[in-house]
Amino acid sequence: MNHNGRLSRRQILAAAGFIGLAGLTACGSGDDGDGGKDLSKKRNGAMKDYRVGDQFKATEPLSFTLLHNDNPVYPMKDDWLFWKELTRRTGVTLEATPVPLSDYEKKRSLLIGAGDAPLLIPKTYPGAETAFVSSGAVLPVSEYAHLMPHFQAKVKKWRLQPEVDSLRQSDGRYYLLPGLHEKVKAGYSLALRTDVLERHGLSLPTTWDEVYQVFKALKEEYPDRYPFSDRWSTNTPFPVGALFQYLGQAYGVRAGWSYLNTSWDAEAEKFVFTGATDAYRQVVEYLHKLVAEKLMDPESFTQTDDEAVKKLLAQKSFAISANPQELVQNYRYNLGKQVEGATVEMIPVPLGPAGPVVLGGSRLENGMMISSKALDGDDFVALMQFVDWLWYSDAGQEFCKWGVENVTHTRSGPGAYELKPGISLMGSDPGAPKDLQKDFGFFNGVFTYGGSWALVSSSFGPDEKEFQDAMAGREQLPVDPPHPLRAEEQERATLWDTPLKDHVTQNTLRFALGKRPLSEWDDYLAELRAKNMDQFIDLHNQAHERFRKENG
Amino acid sequence: MVNTVTSGRRARRPGAARRPSVTSPSRGYRVFQGVNGVVLTLVVLVTLYPFVNIIARSFSGERQIRSGEVTLWPKGFNLTTYEIVVSDPMFWRNYGNTVLYTAVSTAVAMVLTTCYAYVLSKKNLKGRGALVGIAVFTMFFTGGLIPHYVLVTSLGLKNSVWAIALPNAISVFNLLVMKAFFESLPTELEEAAQIDGLSTYGILLRIVLPLSKAVVATMVLFYSVSFWNSWFSAFLYMDRTELMPVTVYLRNLLAGATGGTGAGAATEQLTQVSANIQAVTIVLTSLPILCLYPFVQRYFVSGVMLGAVKG
Repeated sequence: MNHNGRLSRRQILAAAGFIGLAGLTACGSGDDGDGGKDLSKKRNGAMKDYRVGDQFKATEPLSFTLLHNDNPVYPMKDDWLFWKELTRRTGVTLEATPVPLSDYEKKRSLLIGAGDAPLLIPKTYPGAETAFVSSGAVLPVSEYAHLMPHFQAKVKKWRLQPEVDSLRQSDGRYYLLPGLHEKVKAGYSLALRTDVLERHGLSLPTTWDEVYQVFKALKEEYPDRYPFSDRWSTNTPFPVGALFQYLGQAYGVRAGWSYLNTSWDAEAEKFVFTGATDAYRQVVEYLHKLVAEKLMDPESFTQTDDEAVKKLLAQKSFAISANPQELVQNYRYNLGKQVEGATVEMIPVPLGPAGPVVLGGSRLENGMMISSKALDGDDFVALMQFVDWLWYSDAGQEFCKWGVENVTHTRSGPGAYELKPGISLMGSDPGAPKDLQKDFGFFNGVFTYGGSWALVSSSFGPDEKEFQDAMAGREQLPVDPPHPLRAEEQERATLWDTPLKDHVTQNTLRFALGKRPLSEWDDYLAELRAKNMDQFIDLHNQAHERFRKENG
Repeated sequence: MVNTVTSGRRARRPGAARRPSVTSPSRGYRVFQGVNGVVLTLVVLVTLYPFVNIIARSFSGERQIRSGEVTLWPKGFNLTTYEIVVSDPMFWRNYGNTVLYTAVSTAVAMVLTTCYAYVLSKKNLKGRGALVGIAVFTMFFTGGLIPHYVLVTSLGLKNSVWAIALPNAISVFNLLVMKAFFESLPTELEEAAQIDGLSTYGILLRIVLPLSKAVVATMVLFYSVSFWNSWFSAFLYMDRTELMPVTVYLRNLLAGATGGTGAGAATEQLTQVSANIQAVTIVLTSLPILCLYPFVQRYFVSGVMLGAVKG
């Protein structure tokens, strides 16, 4: 191509492009609307006296749009009993836009960014809403919580206010209606080959010291194998993320999957840097001990889940991280086929220096954003009441999870549900002609989460029930107080946050694997300081102070 | 998958074509050829192995896959996953969509690209530089996702095949290759046709295009493979499951089958056959493109070469 003499024309082109872009962005920041709190003209279809325990029923037929996370296990169908029965009970028709689960977040951002989002945007995890706050596209739901009696009652009854407060943004409002749990639902712990332990006269460990003793004893019996080979190292931001998470919990520190750079130090009443705390060092030291004494497979930190499970099935290892589903459907199922007499159990998370505790903040589930366009509609109040009933009332939650009594299930008491014959749930009855999720649309992740312990535990299998019951008695560590950053602070914090986190992750692994001696811990702290650790923590402490002053 | 194979072939051909046949090859050259043969055979094996392995897995039993026994040949022959996928009406619906979208989009893209490229190949055209500039500009700058989305939506293209076909109708790379090809055609031919009374369109349709089978076939292949594999525009602009192409179906299936950590119990049933379901769907979706390939490959090699060595 001939480049000579084209420069000016190109510049014109480029300039034209930029002007066009500028025009588009200018269009994006449209009017803010008068908003206002006068809701008297927005009561179309709303119930006059809507209180806790009431069944919401719109006074005239309404319809609301909804973004629907389409799960390939139960692809959305228009003829689900769920939709029909919902309309019958509430007078509301939901117009759902299915979005493939694989790229749900992407499409959600796009639709919100383009101003094309449905009114109800569920399946949003706490923290994900922050990105949309400044654009004004999402409704500050905290301003309208008074329209939601069930939501308020549950927050009060289960003492969830600190958790909900942690969602507040720098303007003191929150923009997400989170899923609420009565009790912490623990997910992961250690699974061990109980038949092997029995054979050598070992009992199930209850503390991390005992875990170490058991591994040591196994190593003596099988010197050529690693007693423990772990998983959840690939496709996750933090290798062996599950183990770090429940091991860290025993030391009262957020590590692994739950790692956050900031931790609340309740005694000093300020935020500290998690990766620099003493508790975090103890976690690293403990893992280093396991690796150094060849009790834990060093490949744990790099191998795929399949490889880790293969080692367990081939009896090259005897312990692995588990969740109740993996325990039953993968380990136990496959071991049963491959190794005669093999038994495997998941133990309650072993105790550590922090005692019987669980990490705070995990009682919030993914929840819902509401598009600020909802406020423009004359049926806004009815929308909030409807959301309140469907997602937060006992009746609504029961309906979403188990469906219609005597059609899909029978109920013999609180939390005691039985599916009608011929209906299966997640393989509970392989021969059944119908499936509660696929054919009826209940137990759908878009509508079903959280709730009372009776409701949550109603779907546990026997193993999970035992595990959760053991965990349910543990005390929850206090939740971090709110410390929302302002937009410009958020930008600075984000710049520091990722390099710090990466440095912690990398060095955690190097220390654990013995590639870096633990005597260099102080050097590591100095490196963190060089990466602006102190400024980062100051920023959060200032934000916390400011919030406390402004909001009491 | 298809692309790796093609680039392997493309890279090998020139060496093979330059084989001297007049004089007997020297000893050094024979050694070189031997080494070449061995290395290229290894390359072929390395590129073929994953595919053969995928095919083997798709027919294997779940236990054998989990324990890593499956390599080149199916073990514990099993068709359950095929039955499950094939019995899902949505799979076929989406498969049909893929065929439709690919056919329509490729047709639109071919017409527009050919016309644009032919015009650009005329050196006497006024404003040719600007026309090239407009095309090339889009290679470096885009409006960004949201403006793009707003544009397509406000044109009312959402939920129709045009949302996929029109915004992607001209690939600038393909356009430039085609333009280079047209420029390499002798102008005398067109002059002769003009003297014999053909109009501009007549020349394009009756002289130029019949001589351009190679590049047209190449472009059809480029476009159809990229439309067949694409999922993003459909994902953006389609709001109903029954309008999605099979690639989105597959993507969602894989996400459901592998995203087990956060998704909880609901996906566990699927995790059981996850490895197998991936393999099965890969085989089912890449089969048609693989079948198409041998028929156009002849044109393909010469087409790309012709565009490339012009000058």
